[in-house]
Order: sequence, then structure tokens, then C-alpha cells
Amino acid sequence: MNTILKLEHIQKYYGNGGNITKAIRDISFSVEAGEFLGIMGASGSGKTTLLNCISTIDTVSAGHIFLEGTDVTEINPKSLARFRRENLGFVFQDFNLLDTLTISENIALALAINHIPAGRVEPRILEIAEKLNISDILNKYPYQVSGGQKQRCACARAIINNPKLLLADEPTGALDSHSSQMLLSTIQNINKQLKATILMVTHDVFAASYASRILFLKDGEIFMELRKGNDSRNTFFDKILNVLTIIGGGQSHVC
Amino acid sequence: MYAKLVFRNVKRSAKDYLIYIVTMTICVTLFYAFLSISSSYYNPDIGSEYDFTLLRDGMKAAICMITLLLLFLMRFVNHYMLRQKQKEFAIQSIMGMEQKTIGRIFFAETLIMGMISILIGIFFGIFCSQFITAMLLTAYEKSYEISWTLFPDTVLWTVAFFVFSFLVVGIFNTRTIQKTKIITMLSAEKENEPEPGNSRWISVAVIFFELITVWAFITGIQKVWFYYDARFAFPVRLMYWRNILFPLLTLLWSVFCLIKKGERNMLITGLLICSVLNAFATASVAALANKYYLPLGAGMLNQYLLFLLIDLLFFIGALIYLASSFIVTWKEKLPEHRYHGEALFFYGQITSKLNTTSKTMTLICITLVLAIFLFIAAPILTGWASGYLGVRSVYDVQVYSRYNNVYEEKNLPQDNYEIITDFFAAHEIDTAHDCTFNLYLPKKADFHNRMKYDFPVVAISLSDYNAIRKMLGYEQISLGENEFITQWKTIATEEERNSFIAEHTSVVTDGGTLNISEQSYSEEAMGVTLYNSYTDVLYVFPDKICEELLPVMRNRYITTTKNITYENARELERLFVAEYPEQAESGALYGVRFSTLQTNSAIANNFILQTGMIYGAVVLMVICLTVLSLQQLLDAGHYKYRFSVLRKLGVDERRVNKLILKQLRVWFGLPIIVAIMVAAVVIGYFIQTISAEVSAYIGYTTLMLQIGVTVGILVILLLCYFISTWVIFRCSVNS
Repeated sequence: MNTILKLEHIQKYYGNGGNITKAIRDISFSVEAGEFLGIMGASGSGKTTLLNCISTIDTVSAGHIFLEGTDVTEINPKSLARFRRENLGFVFQDFNLLDTLTISENIALALAINHIPAGRVEPRILEIAEKLNISDILNKYPYQVSGGQKQRCACARAIINNPKLLLADEPTGALDSHSSQMLLSTIQNINKQLKATILMVTHDVFAASYASRILFLKDGEIFMELRKGNDSRNTFFDKILNVLTIIGGGQSHVC
Repeated sequence: MYAKLVFRNVKRSAKDYLIYIVTMTICVTLFYAFLSISSSYYNPDIGSEYDFTLLRDGMKAAICMITLLLLFLMRFVNHYMLRQKQKEFAIQSIMGMEQKTIGRIFFAETLIMGMISILIGIFFGIFCSQFITAMLLTAYEKSYEISWTLFPDTVLWTVAFFVFSFLVVGIFNTRTIQKTKIITMLSAEKENEPEPGNSRWISVAVIFFELITVWAFITGIQKVWFYYDARFAFPVRLMYWRNILFPLLTLLWSVFCLIKKGERNMLITGLLICSVLNAFATASVAALANKYYLPLGAGMLNQYLLFLLIDLLFFIGALIYLASSFIVTWKEKLPEHRYHGEALFFYGQITSKLNTTSKTMTLICITLVLAIFLFIAAPILTGWASGYLGVRSVYDVQVYSRYNNVYEEKNLPQDNYEIITDFFAAHEIDTAHDCTFNLYLPKKADFHNRMKYDFPVVAISLSDYNAIRKMLGYEQISLGENEFITQWKTIATEEERNSFIAEHTSVVTDGGTLNISEQSYSEEAMGVTLYNSYTDVLYVFPDKICEELLPVMRNRYITTTKNITYENARELERLFVAEYPEQAESGALYGVRFSTLQTNSAIANNFILQTGMIYGAVVLMVICLTVLSLQQLLDAGHYKYRFSVLRKLGVDERRVNKLILKQLRVWFGLPIIVAIMVAAVVIGYFIQTISAEVSAYIGYTTLMLQIGVTVGILVILLLCYFISTWVIFRCSVNS
């Protein structure tokens, strides 16, 4: 398998002088093509900072991030937007859909921004909507559909350009358990059927159990790595719980 | 403690209050500057021949009326401020502060800001009042010097007016804050825009428009029934039928849509087209009445003017209401446009905002039309009035008489008006020129002809005519044996003159037949009392002929060596009217005109009209532009989120900034373009109806120059607002 994403000794500091906060101390890992990687950790462990650095929204203090061999930390700030739209897809906790556009238009916007010829826009939307089961709500506005549907629309928008890497930041954070389960199945399908590489940040154990590998962060460093291997999802779920117990130092943290 | 909180808030949120302060300062500046000339301490040197009291009272009334409009703007800006601060209020309430106290703190903050605005406003007002003084003294044809005076009574008026307004608005605000629920305040920023398509106002507008159309339809039938004549020229006949046909078409379309249960937008699109047709039909009434001298009464013309006004208003409303559907249709029809870069986002931004604010936009647009019309009409009307003043007020004193109600020859005016000679002697007023003369009827038989449209042209003897010309500094003229020439009023058109001269190459008089001289006419301004009623022309006959004609009017024109003072003129006018009443028992009609009085009242009225209209136009313009700009800034919260989504999707800053500029361009452009379109029609129509006066008293070059300057000022005002909104918008979206 070839490596899509490679992080080398990433560090991220905030503040200056004698008052420095180390959000990320030293993190190195790599993601293979087609992998579904979960990143877990308590609040303040550096998960979101890490995601922001990978997504080029934030800059690193030291270290390198390679996406398919390109060092994203070296990209000219003016070309960053272009890099993002051509290589990355995003799913956010609060959906980030535009309330002025219909679901279909929200998805189309991502294509239009990438200068896809007008004639190819609609067939692609229909195709992806079919896969994510949102065909019947394409002409509705975001305020007319449920949270789960909104998030599936956000997923459709994120993957419609076939990004090299799909970044998901707490995608189930704003959903109820049923919607979460449906969404996670969708994400898993995206990973398996469309062969998309996914990097998901979460602190929901249930959501994490859908990943094939999990990195646990603690105080800005990788504390442990867990692979699903051939385990069932339930077994994997239990394993994750155990790791969290160790990290948190007590059962109370996970209940 | 609370006082400390107030001051700290003021200091900290000075940036939030920037719009509030700027708007208030502009209001105070305008108010102070325009009101300053009505101050009792204001005594510009306009000379003893003028009296200033008329102007002072008129100005005060005009300004206070217009300023009431500013209250509306203050309320709107306050509403904006309240929205901005809702979250802060919510947190304060959650912490346990009473909502009454929060309201009071907010009131104290706005009051402090208001006071600062008043101070800055008065300071700028002192500068601006210099312009007004300059304008005033130019109107009175005096040179002006800059003087820096603070008028205590104007300051008092300004402070009192604005503090009162702050109190009224403040009470409303406090009540609003008290009544708002904490949860509403907390979620104020997340609040969705109201759902589109529920606007009731357009239904009301449609019903109103339909009712007026029914009225127009009935009026059209009535007019054909009572006044139509197959002998009318073709365009006139067409006009009569058009005024039935177009309203009928409008009504049929509505019935068709009702039966078919068509969509509302389809109905309104049809009505929009009908409103244009109707406007054309109604506008043609006055134009054709002018051109073909149709005997239509003022009542009917006013009625059609009302129809025209309503058609135009409906056109504006419907066009703006449909603007978003037009954009949506355009978007649906052209996928290559829709899916081009960020176009989808842009369309979404515009249509969502248009859907929810079409009513405000319509109001803005109508107000803008009014403002533009006032701006352009002010110089036209004042130019007309002062041009007319120059034409009619060429003598220091002119006494005139009319024989319109005299039916016996012995009752015709024959006086020499010695009362004036006596008064001048008593008050040591020296005359430079003095001419008392008769106006004759060429044929005695015409004496009883009193038909308004066929009033006889009167004649003057050559020696009297030359005496008056000398008085005015014109060249003397001479006539050959049995020759005559014509003298024309300024307002007469070349066309009228040529056709008259062609028809009157010779005139049969009681003293023999006369032929027109080689130099057939003269058109220097010689006052309007030299001509018979309802005529624009005067014959000049040799003295010998005149001796045999019937004198029907007797006038006396005087120029003095020094200007007659305002008091003397009033006194002499009183004495004259006592002896020669306007309607004497004999039926003769007498009148006296003093250039002092004419000039004084004309200048004062002119000035009130001009400043009133310009002040009104500026106030309306400022209101429109402020509301337009606040409409955008009010939603900065929404926009910040939307643009951040766009950035996350990988749109770079350059394109985001381009989108912002594009959005603001459409936002400002749409109402302004619609307003300019409608205003152009209205002004074009207005100028066309008074084209004779415009060419006689103002001149088209001067008019175009004036319109050019006005448009320049408007563009500068617009650019200022546009750029400042753009800067603030970018800051709030990018922060």
C-alpha cells in the first residue's frame, strides 16, 4: 500500500517568551491509501490542532506534513486555498452548509469552485446522492431537513471532488444516536466502496469503533495506537474503552 | 458602579457605535446648517431693499417638517444597535441584572454617543452654514465674507430637538429590551432569516393597483363618451382608446390568472408589463393635451397624473419583488452560469436577501426617486422663477391696467397716476426715466371681443415704444410709412412667432392698412404688462396711426436713480391700492409692481424652495443610503459564517473579496438603477411639460450643466457610502 499522508515530528506552540503552551509536542505517523484512521483523546489533547495543521487551516511550529509527497507546510499561502479544494474534503461537527442554497446546490458549489464543466455537475450530484441516499431531498433547503441528512449532504459535498484525504471533525457531535449510526455506516461505505482515505477526529467511542486504526493522543503526543485487525466492531469497541480507561486514569472518565 | 459600566462600555464599544455616531453627526450637521439662517442673530448684509423676515419663518417651518423624516432614520439605526448588542444584554440578564437596568444602561450609552454626535455635528454645521450663507447672498446678488459665528438660539434648537428625539427613541428602546426574552436575545445571532414568499405587502399592492385600474378604466370610458370626437388628430384619438384598452388588458389578465389559478409571480409579471403600458398611456394625456391644445381641465390632468404616479410606484414594487424570481429563472435556465465558480453562492446570497427585504427595498427605491427628483427639480424651478423675475421685473415701478371687465368706452382707464409723482416728490426719490403711455386696439370693433382664445392683440405708438426701449437701454427703432413691427414675450416660441408673422404680413386698422416692416419682430424682455391678456405679442404702429385708434389701457413705467427701499415700496403700494383698487367700480383693473417687492418676495420664496428641496433631497438620500448600508451590515453575522464555509471549501481570499464587492454592487446597484430609471422618466416628462419655460428662462445648456453638477454630487455621496460599507463589511466578514 502506498502512503497518502505522512507527518514527521510535528510541533505546535502557542504564545511567546516564557509563556508557551505546547499544543502538540511531537507527533509522527502516516496514513495509507484507503485507510480509515480515527484520532481520539480528551479535551485539550491536541486533536483539533492536529486536524487544523493537516488541513492547512493552521500552520505548524516545527516538522513536516506530506500529502502524497507534497510538503504542505512549505506551500505558498496564496496557493493554500487551491491545494485544499483540490486535495482535501471536510466534514464538520456543525455541518457548515449554506442556508441560502438547496442541498443539491450546496454539493454543486464544491464542484463549481473546482471548475468542473457545467454539463458534468448534475450527473455527478445525482450519482453521489444515490450512494448516500439523499436523492429525495436534493431540492430542499438545509433548514427543511434533519441533522443526519444535513451531515450526509456535507459528506457528499466533501467527497464529490474525490479528495485524496477526507477530514472529519467530530462528524457525529451534533447528531442523535440513530442518525450517528446511519452516518457512520455511510462513512464506512465511503471508505470501503469509494476507497476514500478518511481521517476522523472524535471522542465518541462508538464512532471511533468504525475506524480501522485509532491513535490516542494525550498532552500533545501519541499515547497509544490501536488496530482493529480482524476484530469485530464490538470487540474493538471494548478495546477502545480499555485504552481510554488507562489514559483517563479511571472508569469515571468514560461513563 | 453603573455609571462606570456605562463609560467603560462607551469606550470599549466605540467601534460598534461608529455607524450610530456618523449617522447622527450627519443629521445634526444638516439640521444646524440649514436652521442657522433662520436664527434671529443671523443678519447677513442683503441691503435695505430686502426684508428677511419672510424667509426666516418659511425656512424654520420647512426645515422642521423635513427633519421629522430623520426620526425614522434614528429609529432604524437604534434597531441596528440593539441587534448588535443583544448577546451582551443576554449575558447581563443571565448574570442577574434586571432588564430595566440593562435598558437604562443602553439608553445612557446611546445618550452619551448622541451628545458626542451633537457636539461634532454643530462643529461641522458651523462650516456647512457658510455654504448656505454663500448660497443666500448669491441669491440676493451680494458678495459674501466668511464669518464664524455660533448662533445661540440655533444651538438651543438643535440640542433641544435631538435630545427630545433621543428621549423618545430611548424610551422605545428600553421598552423593547424589557419585553425581549432572554432566550431570544441569546439566539439573536443564530436567528434564521424569515421564510421567503410570505410577503403580504405585495398582495395589498396588487389589490390597490387593481382598484386604481378599475377607476382608470371607468374614467377612460367616461372621457370617450363625453369628449371623444372623430375630428381629433390620429394620435389624440389613439390616446382616448389607449386609456380604455390598457386598463382593460390589465383587468383581463388578472381575471385570466384568477380563473387559471396561475402562480402569483405570473400574475405580477403580467401586471408589471401592464403598469408600463398604463404609465405610457396616462403620460401621453398631458403631453398630447399640450401639443394639440386639447381643452382638458386641470382636474382631469391631475387625475391622470395620479394614475401615472400609481403606475410608476407599482412598477417599482413589482420589479423589486420579482427581481429575485428573475434571478432564480436566469439561474435555472443557464447551467453554465449557475455552475461557474462561486456563482451559486452569489445567487444564493442575493436571492435570500431580496426575498426577505423586498418591501424595504421598494420603499428605499421610491424614496430615492423622490430624492433624485427633488435634486434635479430644485434648480429647474428656481431657475425658472428667477429667470421669470428678470423678465417681468425690468422697471423699478410699473403701473398697468386691464380692460377685461370694462364694457363702456367712457370707463376705460385714462389716468396719469399722479399719486406716484406726489409720493416720489415727498420722499425725495428721483426718477431716471418716466413714461406714461396708451395701448390701442387696432380695430375699435374688437373692443367687445372677450373670447379668451381670440383676444385682440393691442398696439403701442412708436414714440412710446422707443421711450421704453431707451429706459431699458435698448437701441431705438424706426418705421417707414404705413409699416409696423411686432414685439414678443420671452416665452413665445420661434414656431409661434413665425406662424403669426406669416399670417399677419399686413394689418387692417381704423387708421388704414399697415404692412410688416423688413425687420418684422423684436424679442427683448420688456416686462409682461406690455401685452394684452392672453396674448404674447404687441404691434408697434407709427404715431400718426395711433392717434386714430381707441386707447384701451394706460400704463406707466418708471426707473429711479436709486433703489426704492422696502418700506417705501410697501407704503406706496398701500396708497396706490387705496386709490386704484384692483377691481375698480368702472370695471377697469389696476395694478402696481415694484421691482423691490417683486425681487424680495421672489428671492425669498425661491431660496426657501431651493434650500427646502435640497435639504429634503439630501436627508432622503442619506436615509436611503444609510438604510441600504445597514441592511448589509446587520447581517454581518450570517455573512461571516457563510464566507467562512466558502473559505473552508477552498476559495481563496482574493475571490472572497471579489464576491463581497460583487454582492455590494448588486445590493446598492439594484435600487439605484431602478430609481434612476423611474426618475429619468419622471424628470423627462416634467421637463417636457415645461419645455417652453425651460428654454425661455433657463436655457438647455445651463439646465444640463445644473443636472450634471447634481448628478456629480449624488455620485460622490453614493461612493462615500459604498466604500465605507465595503470596508466595514470586509472587516466584519474577515475578522
